Amino acid sequence: MNQQPIPSHPVPLTAETATAMEQLSIKKHDVAIVLLHWFNASVWFMELLSGLALIVAPAYRVMPQWYLTMIASAFGSRANLLRVHVALGLTWIVVFTVYGVFGYRNYLRKEVLVNEIGLDQDDWQWLRIRLLLILNRTKEPLPEQGSYNAGQKLFALLVYMALPVIAITGIIMTFRLFGTAAVAWAMLLHFVAVGMVVSGLMVHAYMGAVFPEERPAFFSMITGRVNELFAYKHHFKWWKQAKIEQRSWQQEFHSATPNEPKRD
Amino acid sequence: MARYAMVIKTERCVGCQSCTVACKSEWKVPNGFARTRVPETGTRGTFPTLSTCFHVKQCNHCDRPTCVPACPSGATYQADDGTVHIDRALCIGCGACVAACPYGARYIDPSAGKADKCDFCAPRREQGLLPACVLTCPAEAKIFGDLEDPSSDVYRLVYHEGARRMVSNAVSIGPNVYYTGTPEHLELQAASFVPVPPRTIAPGIIWGAFAKNLVLLAVGASFAGQAIAFFRQLAVGEKRFED
Amino acid sequence: MNSKISRRDFLKVSTAGAAIAGATSATAEPSRLPGRRGNERVELIATNCEMCFWRCGVLAEVKDGKVLKLQGNPNHPMTKGKLCARGNAGTQLLYDPDRLKYPEVRTGSRGSGKLKRVSWDEALDQFAARLKEIKQKYGPEAVAVFPHGVSSGFFATLMKAYGTPNAAETAFAQCFGPRDVAYLLTFGRPVGSPEPVDLEESKLIVLIGSHIGENIFTSQVTAFSQGLSRGAKLLVVDPRFSTAASKANWWLPIRPGSDIALFLAWSNVLITENLYDKEYLDQYAIGFKELTDHVQGFTPEWAESLTDISASQIRETARAMAEAKPAVALHPGRHVTWYGNDTQRARAMAILTALLGAYGRKGGIFLPTKLKQGKIPLPPMPDSEKGRADGGGDRYPLAAEEAQGLTQGLIEATLTAKPYPIKAWVVYGQNVLESIPQKQRTLEAIKQLELLVVVDVLPNEQTDYADIVLPEATYLERYDPPMISTTSKRPFVSVRQPACEPMYETKPGWWIAKQMAKRLDLDAYLPWSDPDDHLRRVIAPLGVNSSELMSLGAVSFPGKPYIEDRVEGDGPLFPTQSGKIELYSAVLNDLHFDPMPVYHAPEQPPSGYLRLIYGRAPMHTMTRSENNAWLDDLMPENQVWVSTKNASSLRLTEGDVVTLENQDGIRSDPIHVRVTERIRDDCAYMVHGFGAVAPKERKAYRRGTGDTKLISRVAVDPIMGGTGMRVNFVRLLAGEGKG
Repeated sequence: MNQQPIPSHPVPLTAETATAMEQLSIKKHDVAIVLLHWFNASVWFMELLSGLALIVAPAYRVMPQWYLTMIASAFGSRANLLRVHVALGLTWIVVFTVYGVFGYRNYLRKEVLVNEIGLDQDDWQWLRIRLLLILNRTKEPLPEQGSYNAGQKLFALLVYMALPVIAITGIIMTFRLFGTAAVAWAMLLHFVAVGMVVSGLMVHAYMGAVFPEERPAFFSMITGRVNELFAYKHHFKWWKQAKIEQRSWQQEFHSATPNEPKRD
Repeated sequence: MARYAMVIKTERCVGCQSCTVACKSEWKVPNGFARTRVPETGTRGTFPTLSTCFHVKQCNHCDRPTCVPACPSGATYQADDGTVHIDRALCIGCGACVAACPYGARYIDPSAGKADKCDFCAPRREQGLLPACVLTCPAEAKIFGDLEDPSSDVYRLVYHEGARRMVSNAVSIGPNVYYTGTPEHLELQAASFVPVPPRTIAPGIIWGAFAKNLVLLAVGASFAGQAIAFFRQLAVGEKRFED
Repeated sequence: MNSKISRRDFLKVSTAGAAIAGATSATAEPSRLPGRRGNERVELIATNCEMCFWRCGVLAEVKDGKVLKLQGNPNHPMTKGKLCARGNAGTQLLYDPDRLKYPEVRTGSRGSGKLKRVSWDEALDQFAARLKEIKQKYGPEAVAVFPHGVSSGFFATLMKAYGTPNAAETAFAQCFGPRDVAYLLTFGRPVGSPEPVDLEESKLIVLIGSHIGENIFTSQVTAFSQGLSRGAKLLVVDPRFSTAASKANWWLPIRPGSDIALFLAWSNVLITENLYDKEYLDQYAIGFKELTDHVQGFTPEWAESLTDISASQIRETARAMAEAKPAVALHPGRHVTWYGNDTQRARAMAILTALLGAYGRKGGIFLPTKLKQGKIPLPPMPDSEKGRADGGGDRYPLAAEEAQGLTQGLIEATLTAKPYPIKAWVVYGQNVLESIPQKQRTLEAIKQLELLVVVDVLPNEQTDYADIVLPEATYLERYDPPMISTTSKRPFVSVRQPACEPMYETKPGWWIAKQMAKRLDLDAYLPWSDPDDHLRRVIAPLGVNSSELMSLGAVSFPGKPYIEDRVEGDGPLFPTQSGKIELYSAVLNDLHFDPMPVYHAPEQPPSGYLRLIYGRAPMHTMTRSENNAWLDDLMPENQVWVSTKNASSLRLTEGDVVTLENQDGIRSDPIHVRVTERIRDDCAYMVHGFGAVAPKERKAYRRGTGDTKLISRVAVDPIMGGTGMRVNFVRLLAGEGKG
């Protein structure tokens, strides 16, 4: 086993080390996360598809007439479209409520608040440098990132803020709660929140699926694992922590002899 | 195809509200609301030279309805026969159509949370029956028929006997409920009620004036950004992740 | 029966007595025809309405025993599918959670409303036992019966068989009695109901106080509307600018109580200007000479200062009537107990009708067509030595017929024990506290009773005073005797059959009457076994079978409404003593009344007071509909109409709350003011039927005010005992005085 000390900051790797690391994989996402991600992707896609076809009034609509007609007839009628839209939306809400209730203590608190949306100094630097890199205005290296980089965190933040708005306004509209004015405002907020998510989603989808540098990240959302080299390069802080835990586990496992007391 | 219309004979109407209740019982209109209502116009003149009459009000199934384009989900639509309907399955009860009607013909049914209004009793007409209000009116003050049928009473009343539409300078959207009556009656009605320009609900104003563009801009910019990055990526070639 | 008729086909079936193949045997079940509502199957049951007294044809849509909706019956020959607001709201009576549900007996003091539920057997046994007790103690005459409504006949028969001659319903002395007596004297027949006024063929419709459009009898509104559409002119005489007045060519805002002067002046013009129908009078009338002499002095100039109508208007309108004659529909009105001289006023109207040649003529007053009603043979009725207690036939000589009971006479007898004590009241389908004026007297009388039994549908105030309350099923749940209308241009018979089972433990009137008959050993007086039996016996001579009638709802027959239609066998045209129209009434003269109407001015309101006048609203039927959720939504309360001038001098604005105080110091409940130009300065007007004080009528409770308690004074018509009610004066007090 590899007894090299774990660097506290990224160091240049030899080609040999790099290749070796590339062969190893490290678990990034629980199965639950993977499933939820694709659940989200598919539900949101269908919701967007159907939702856009439900906005018909000329002053409100964002899609052309042929789209509205096409989607409505694909679902049979626009009334059916709404039924599907509502059914999917409610399903999503139920799933996430259950998930939230059962997963809160074990998972949500640390994972969400710290890993997914907590922005630290490195994150802000990363954002600045990443932007300048795109514009080809700097040669600085990107700072270390945790299991999610700052861009991903920003997107997560957007989603965590927008989705409750979408869900709650959706519920207000579906069950016609709190009176007509509430439904009317809910309609507007639903639309704006969705719009914001879609904007962010474009970046997320591009970065995830199209941008070659992040390709291992895309596959991690399928297999749950990334190769160690990618982790080292792009999510160093997470890699380090994972390694430390792995090492300590290995140490514990491999160093304990039958007659020696276990070290705590 | 057909263009259904109603003619109200003000000279016959006695304001008995039989139509209001027949409609209410047919369509379960809740207390406090009405699909059709018959207010008094108010009295003109001084004792003993007085005039007053009644004004039957309901959805006019206008030629160019302002409620149809106002409905975000398209729940409100105009059928081929000119009548305007509400698809309750699509209505979310936002109230945009209520504000958009110059005649105040719509209301939100509080128990269902959805918009409601007269639809010329479409289910009854499908069975070959007259609208409930027309059948029940003791004074025979409501005439219903097809304006495209020259043999119909409404055709005669509208095209040959001068039945008038309730329009104003500001609002003229082709209402298909016409009125006959003495000139005094029609003046009384016009003085007591004027169709108002359609209003847009506040969220709708914001949506149309601002939010839509904001969203399109955000999505567009985001998309554009990604497109640019994509093209750069194609131009520059793929870099492996570790570089 | 063709069982596959769709709702549409049913509604196209003609009414001309079409024979439908089917058994003539009685159907125990109401006749249910299949229909559709959207995709659901429903049943259609033809019956008639009881939200007022016109009994328009109704189709009830029923599914799974629930009445979904009511609509007019297009097959009904009189109403042809039209149905007013009240008729359409009938389901709200049927499903009113406040309605009487179980028999109850009093446990608290009279008026406390403390009642306990008992079984029917217990209630009826007690009722019978008390009646037997009273018969023994005081004689059967000590029981006064107040029967009103379609099944009232059963109760009237029952109690007459029991031995009391004392029965009265408000219809006579509080409503149309005066005009029926007057027309009987003049033409030989009462006016009847529905009123035989040929509105749709008329060239000039004259309404004296009658506010068609606010009073709603569906087919009358239709005829009115049709008449006007065909070019009839309209003349309205009313101190208030009513809905009818708003359609009139002439509105004469007459000084209240001066109508006789107007009629006399009109008669004067017609006679002196030779505008009357000479040929008609020559052929059909007597007393013309006497009349001519009588009206000499009653010129339009004379009438002007009495009526506040200018002489030129009187002349103009008289000439208009002459121009339109004989097609002048001078409507006799319905509720005509106004000033105590009402029989004479109706006589004046009848005389004017005769002068115009309008009686029995197209566009005027048409003649009834007899229909043979099956008589159910009964054993002889017991004779009462004591005679009637209400004064009918003796103090009020022309209230001599059985149907002409005087409610206030019975109340007076109860209060004074003269001519003999009255110790028990049986009230069926009548609201004695609100439909009879001088409410305070009625309450006093009730307190003196040993037994008060009320059979009703709603828990109105009188049920709070009753010893026994028997809950009747509503008209939608019961059989009642069929309506046989002779005063329609096409006479008809129309049925009432149940659209659904009686709710709670309510029972139809016929059942209650039969149960009581059994307990009183008076079975022989209600000898039919069940409603079908009764119906078949009643309609037997008409040649209609009951199944056909039950499915169509009504069947009509050819009518002979005009004089020219009549032939020898149809009986005398004018069944008076002389066989002619009696312009001069020898009968009245013999009874020492004016043989021709003479004008006496009514008392005028004292300074600071307004005459209280009242009327109807199209969405209510007096107090009958006050607790109806839908009708209350349209009109939850009444308002007091006062002129703009009065309002400003009292510093009142629209909507202000006032209390009315009458000449006897009696105060109303708070009521909102309607400030309008539409009423004379000497009147205050309100719609009758509000101000419920029974807390159990939750929707009606304390909404608006009742006028009945303000009518503490009446002017009694000496000829037939009618209680003139427009003789009370009120002043308006701002704010909510103690009611």
